[in-house]
Amino acid sequence: MFSRLSSRSLGASARYGSSPAGRVVAVRSVQLDAEKTSLSQARFASSKASTRASLSNNALPITFALISAGSIAWYTHLYGSIPFLPEASANTPAEDGLHPTHYPWSHSGILDTFDHSSIRRGYQVYREVCAACHSLDRIAWRNLVGVSHTADEVKEMAGEVEYEDGPDDAGEMFQRPGKLSDYMPRPYPNEEAARAGNAGALPPDLSLIIKARHGGCDYVFSLLTGYVDPPAGVEIREGMNYNPYFPGGAISMARLLFDGLVEYPDGTPATTSQMAKDVVTFLNWAAEPEHDSRKRIGMQACIILSALTAISLYVKRFKWAPIKSRKLLYTPPK
Amino acid sequence: MALPARAISFKPYNLAVTTRTLPSGVPIAPGISLYAKGYGVDHGHGHGHGAARSDVPPSWTSGVRLGGSNFESKTPLLTIPPFLMGESSCTAPVSRSVHTSSQVPAPSPSPYAVPDWSHYKTENPSMNRAFSYFMVGSMGLLGASAAKATITDFLATMAASADVLALAKVEVSMSAIPLAKNVIIKWRGKPVFVRHRTEDEIKEARSVNIKTLRDPQTDEDRVKRPEWLVMLGVCTHLGCVPIGESGDYGGWFCPCHGSHYDISGRARKGPAPLNLEVPPYDFNDAEEKIIIG
Amino acid sequence: MALTDTLYNALFRRNSIFVSSIFVGAFGFGLAFDTATNRFWDNWNKGKQWKDIRDKYVTPAGADEE
Repeated sequence: MFSRLSSRSLGASARYGSSPAGRVVAVRSVQLDAEKTSLSQARFASSKASTRASLSNNALPITFALISAGSIAWYTHLYGSIPFLPEASANTPAEDGLHPTHYPWSHSGILDTFDHSSIRRGYQVYREVCAACHSLDRIAWRNLVGVSHTADEVKEMAGEVEYEDGPDDAGEMFQRPGKLSDYMPRPYPNEEAARAGNAGALPPDLSLIIKARHGGCDYVFSLLTGYVDPPAGVEIREGMNYNPYFPGGAISMARLLFDGLVEYPDGTPATTSQMAKDVVTFLNWAAEPEHDSRKRIGMQACIILSALTAISLYVKRFKWAPIKSRKLLYTPPK
Repeated sequence: MALPARAISFKPYNLAVTTRTLPSGVPIAPGISLYAKGYGVDHGHGHGHGAARSDVPPSWTSGVRLGGSNFESKTPLLTIPPFLMGESSCTAPVSRSVHTSSQVPAPSPSPYAVPDWSHYKTENPSMNRAFSYFMVGSMGLLGASAAKATITDFLATMAASADVLALAKVEVSMSAIPLAKNVIIKWRGKPVFVRHRTEDEIKEARSVNIKTLRDPQTDEDRVKRPEWLVMLGVCTHLGCVPIGESGDYGGWFCPCHGSHYDISGRARKGPAPLNLEVPPYDFNDAEEKIIIG
Repeated sequence: MALTDTLYNALFRRNSIFVSSIFVGAFGFGLAFDTATNRFWDNWNKGKQWKDIRDKYVTPAGADEE
């Protein structure tokens, strides 16, 4: 028994001993194990009296262990979570909002670009529905060129909006039609006007909303399509709406997307979920305009860098092999 | 050895444990796998050394199997003959992998004998040489390519950003400028003069002997189309904005220090050292526009 | 091996030729790699990118150069 146990521990400790320091540790633990083994042999060889003796000797640590285990169990029973884990939350699940389902977005994969037809439809939904209340400050007309619209289309769309410019020669500000370099017009001139028009609630700017909300695309999609009647017992104030995905459940924005609200020129049926999907894709593009080229460059970089890694490992071995495998010969003088 | 009946002749190959001592005095033996157990197999009854013969390696210390074309035998544990290691250490487990494909010599009388590695030597050194250079070259090639891409990207950050570029172009409708009229437009914060020149003015601009000029430049060099003169309205002396259709040469006159420019925007008199600068511009005939920038 | 010797004598023997062929090759490789990966990329994302749907929206007059 001694030999088997000790040799097993030898193996276990030597397995990690790749460096000289590791080997020292291994040797030491071998000695320790050998002592332990002989001790336990001695114990089993005698009677159970020694067991009893060890219990009484260790009464103090055993008591403390039992007390701490008991208090942890009591705490867990009282508060429903294991202590020392960072789970302190004053929110009920309803206050955190329903966790959105993960949807298979057309751009989810690491090699997948946005579906640009969807961006184009989503822009239409934004323009016809969302833009009534939500601004899109960080997107300029020119950003749409080559993404969802041609330059001529965008010029025409921008030209329909009046922008203030100036001052002219007389120092007066004047109105002019929009140009490609102008940014998206905002529905309200400032935050106060936006709040006043929405019963005190501020419609957030949508430029970065996909990045700014936990859950991203899934959350916004779930929010847009998740309006339901409040369950029994939930009181929603006048002017508020119930949406289980919104933290707290009560949201100022009413359900806006209904089947057939917009008419897509490309013939796609404008169902609620289709419109929500398109506008979320559009908003995701607005938040990450670099998305497509980022993924493409990432793919190229991964290919190049992994090939470089493999080759440099080969070259390292190639350079080191003669150094590591050389044999030094000493021929003593005769 | 519990080998099959058709077993090949199997000769254990022994090498001594290479033991050395660390500066701390702890002995170490590099390269030894200590997985294997000693011989003394007990029966689980806890009564010490088993009944296995101490002079024969147990069957589990080696295995022979048919691999590919020949037998391979992997032996993680072999004896050190007592006459080499001394009586006390004869049960020390030693690990050597032995397979019949490596032409290991028969048990050497000397524990310091070096095995014959000659079969590792390549038969085709030119292939090896070309391959090694190829791999080194490939690494250089990939590295150079990656470095080039990186540097290009860094340099690209110095270029104007997209929003600046979007403002960098100004369109002027040609039909809105009648003959012999100046138009001043703002482009990148500076005034740009656009003049629709008459035939007489063009003739006048081209009749000047450029050898007499301070900054010799022909009118042909300064315009893309003779009837359209496009230039920056910034005096080359100290940056004032010259006044059009005035001055001694029928062109522009700078009120600050009295520089005179002719109908081609060339400095003719006064302190201005250079002609008025011509910005990059283009014509869009389909929409009858001049695009500056 | 005649081929490997040819390769060695042509490219590797002189360091100047070796290094300069690496730099020249880096440019060629960059072009070829970009072409190949972009082709794969366009193939993988067929029908999703703007260049795939652009034809539906450009006016036949085709005055846009963006």
